Amino acid sequence: MAGHRGDVPGARRPVGRGRLRDGAAAWREIAWPFPRDGWPAGRAFRCGIVECGAEVEVYLRPKLGFCNCDSGVADDDEVDRVADVDMISPRFVPLRAGDAVDVADMPGRIRVYRLDGSRTAIGIAVSHHCDLMAVAAQGSGDAVQIQRATLKFLEGREIRRWMAAAMEGR
Amino acid sequence: MIGDPPEASNMRLVGTNDLQARSAYQPTIHHQGDRWIAYIGHHGGTDDIPDPVNPMTGKPEPNGTSIVDVTDPAHPKYLRHIPGQEGRYEAGGAQMVRVCDGKDLPKGDRNAVYMLRTFGSEAHEIWNVADPANPVLVTRIGGLKDTHKNFWECNTGIAYLVSGAPDWRTRRMTQIYDLSDPAHPVKIRDFGLPGQEPGATGAVPTELHGPISTGPKGNRVYFGYGTNKGGFLQIVDRDKLLSGPKEPTPDNLTFPEIARMPLSAMNGAHTVFPMPGMPIAEFARDKDGRARDIVMIVDEAIQNECGEARQMVWFADVTTEARPMMISSYTVPEASGAFCERGGRFGSHSSNESMAPVYYKKLAFIAFFNAGVRALDIRDPYHPREVGYFIPSITAATDKRCVTVDGKDRCKVAIQTNNVETDDRGYIYAVDRANTGLHILELTGAARAIAGLP
Repeated sequence: MAGHRGDVPGARRPVGRGRLRDGAAAWREIAWPFPRDGWPAGRAFRCGIVECGAEVEVYLRPKLGFCNCDSGVADDDEVDRVADVDMISPRFVPLRAGDAVDVADMPGRIRVYRLDGSRTAIGIAVSHHCDLMAVAAQGSGDAVQIQRATLKFLEGREIRRWMAAAMEGR
Repeated sequence: MIGDPPEASNMRLVGTNDLQARSAYQPTIHHQGDRWIAYIGHHGGTDDIPDPVNPMTGKPEPNGTSIVDVTDPAHPKYLRHIPGQEGRYEAGGAQMVRVCDGKDLPKGDRNAVYMLRTFGSEAHEIWNVADPANPVLVTRIGGLKDTHKNFWECNTGIAYLVSGAPDWRTRRMTQIYDLSDPAHPVKIRDFGLPGQEPGATGAVPTELHGPISTGPKGNRVYFGYGTNKGGFLQIVDRDKLLSGPKEPTPDNLTFPEIARMPLSAMNGAHTVFPMPGMPIAEFARDKDGRARDIVMIVDEAIQNECGEARQMVWFADVTTEARPMMISSYTVPEASGAFCERGGRFGSHSSNESMAPVYYKKLAFIAFFNAGVRALDIRDPYHPREVGYFIPSITAATDKRCVTVDGKDRCKVAIQTNNVETDDRGYIYAVDRANTGLHILELTGAARAIAGLP
């Protein structure tokens, strides 16, 4: 059975009334869509085609104590392993090598995938000390569009505050 | 607190050594001539003391391997520290150690005693420790990452080296070597779960933690994956593994696999300890299934102060190998010691791995971090039962363990019994991850009677 937001350590209640407004994009919080696994459920958001140019869903959750405390997110293989893209579909193929990224002042890597031969997914893994924030996103638009919308969403003040709290008050 | 007595039931402290206040992982006890020698692997140093001073040399040395003469367990004598890789906590040290006599290895020097150890995360090394106070490096297998919990068959020399190999998609997998001549390692193959191999795409199966082989006679290798999450017990046909096609394709990686039993996504497998052919008293009058093949699976707790699902001990009946089934479990009752409040990790980590008759299939010893070492009566693995425990005293060397609360560290000092091993005499060796050293124990009372010890 899927978990809920309260499962995340340090999590706060959703901001607004299920709608998170960051810049031009409007994101609506949705139920965590995945079955229970080894980590507590995180938070999931959806942005419509009107606001984001494509329908995009973003899933994010902390994985405390799951990162190499010294080297952080070291390579693209680690993004493949930890970013939760496999929860969307276990059949994902990277489109190209990943890039370094910074999310909420945490360094890591971002990589773009093709899902089941048609849809596009983004995997992001960033770390602080031994803890990891895993982000996966999927959409029907092109990869650039989905990546741009996802990163813009993650720049939002409210979601950054939530990520810091979920990483135990980092 | 420092000065508080140890907590114990049916276990007694025989002797201690501070191991130079180094964070300890695997102890291996070896009968060497007329002496008993403990080889103890270490994690890296701490933020406060990255390289503890070795009093024998007067110099700071990165944590590596401690060699201790435990012939007289009441008075263990520290013989030598072999420095390991520079680096703090899991990033340094020389965590794992296995020992084989040269006379047992098919092509070994009959006068040598070989110690296989990891070197931090980057290599495996073999040392000749025939004179344990003066070890000599024999060979090194380098260029790796995340080396960890190896297994070495002394009668064949086949070694299952846990490593991160270049290009593999997982942090840890198995590199199988013929180390029958330790001076000249011969690579046999790489092994892992399909999806971990180079060039694969899609979901990456959980990484390996460590294997245990039953050798050519048992013809099985048991692999534990997952540590504390998404674990698997994998049962592998050893002969097919060693002789089968070696190119790491999905088909070739699947070829030797007999079964793969998933654990809950909330648990992993640190140690998978096989106990084939256990007679079960309750089944004695049954026409079939009177003896069962059992694997004890020990998870590893990772988070401090109960910040994750409980990691514990599981028993799987693998008699019908293709359909293994979990039959029982064991955990220390948290309320018996308010362990979630004591600081550090609470939960299991590892078990003894000695198959010496004194305890094999009768008693198992589990390192349970701040709950110390636990003795289990496993004669009926369908109903394991705790029969003793020992939680060492905190000392001035015991390191703190912290959690983050509202953005600030809150630290407590707690025992962190990390690993445990036994010797053929029946002594139990518990070592501490939080720098409290080595504690040599013996059973007393009803627990001792189970082993048939005088």
